[in-house]
Amino acid sequence: MTVADVFGTLELCAVEVAISMSLDSAFQYAAQLEDPVRADLVESHRRSWARLAESGTWWTGPERIAIAAASRAAIDCALCRERKEALSPFSVTGAHDGVSGGGSEGLVPEAAIDAAHRIVTDASRLSGTWVEGLAEQGVSDAHYVELLSVVVSVRSIDAFHRAMGLPLEPLPEPTPGGCEPTRRRPPTAEKTDAFVAMLPSRKPPGEDADLFPGPAPYVIRAMSLVPDAVRWLKDLSGAHYLSMEAGQMFDFANGRGPLSRAQTELIAGRVSAVNECFY
Amino acid sequence: MLRASIETQGEEVDLRGLTDGKAAGESSISGAAALVDFVEATLGGNTDEIAVARDLVRSELGSEALVDAAAVIGNFERMVRVADGTGIPLDAAVNVATEEIRSELGIDAFASEERKSEVATWQRLMARAIDPLAKIGLRWQGRRASR
Repeated sequence: MTVADVFGTLELCAVEVAISMSLDSAFQYAAQLEDPVRADLVESHRRSWARLAESGTWWTGPERIAIAAASRAAIDCALCRERKEALSPFSVTGAHDGVSGGGSEGLVPEAAIDAAHRIVTDASRLSGTWVEGLAEQGVSDAHYVELLSVVVSVRSIDAFHRAMGLPLEPLPEPTPGGCEPTRRRPPTAEKTDAFVAMLPSRKPPGEDADLFPGPAPYVIRAMSLVPDAVRWLKDLSGAHYLSMEAGQMFDFANGRGPLSRAQTELIAGRVSAVNECFY
Repeated sequence: MLRASIETQGEEVDLRGLTDGKAAGESSISGAAALVDFVEATLGGNTDEIAVARDLVRSELGSEALVDAAAVIGNFERMVRVADGTGIPLDAAVNVATEEIRSELGIDAFASEERKSEVATWQRLMARAIDPLAKIGLRWQGRRASR
């Protein structure tokens, strides 16, 4: 696996050797499981860890890993449990457990830690007002979208591990000498009918043209304020579910492997319902 | 998506298993009860229950299906949070097409449902007109796939 395979259109800096070395030692499923794990799944998870360790568009590598560590701590957080039981999740205040996990003390604003916890434990009750309020606490809308992409990517890989009875993969070390965040905001992104700005449905211009070929559903555009978040989403979705590029989404008669499409969608629907997500 | 995939098989669409896990056993989908148990155990987080559910899926559907099922769980643990975290509404066509189902299954009671748009009467009428054609199209896709 080469670095170009991993990052595609992402800009690279002088960290290529370190990244490629760390990729091949993570996610050793063959040594842990008798059940056969597809090679594309392993590779997608390794690419995710490499992305996580690198600087993003708005957060540095160490900051992204601190956010990932906070999101893992949310599972056993007493404050999150108390909030989940409350009539309003915004009526309960306090400190989250495990904030220091991953050596993240003070590395990211408290609001970012709180956001990571809420996304993991009570996402269906987030609100636009709350997202707007984050900006006053050092987490802009673009920072928030990138934070969301880190949290959900780690969450999805961790869920696979939990389902298969595997220990969680240790979070990667930040890439040494990583790039500075580019802080690039797509010029055509606009806030319309979601909590955050996103690209319009038509094919994006210029360097974002690879994100989607034309009219795209909200869920593909949702994180397009940070284009690399969409690329990460497409990478993991192609391995975990169906490829957005290969037209598999619109083939309702066939599954991609041993599961039928109906079995796949039953799992999808039940996960959504248990999470109380109407989408 | 689930309804469409069942329609391709020309079978009775029963979506109760989505919101009532116990009803999955009556589904026409092979291994439905085992898959729903696997989802519930994984999201519940009890490692013993997950192990039991995992063994059941493996014995009913095989090792490869088990791995793929775990991957799909992972996928939607991500996607639901993308949708809820960004506050996206339902796409217009889906909003219209799923209006009745959401009401029947109790999805209207979810907190995130507040983000839905109202369905206009003309949209509802158009959906009713298109629905039979969509079913024909999906069954054609199913017959074509089984050849």
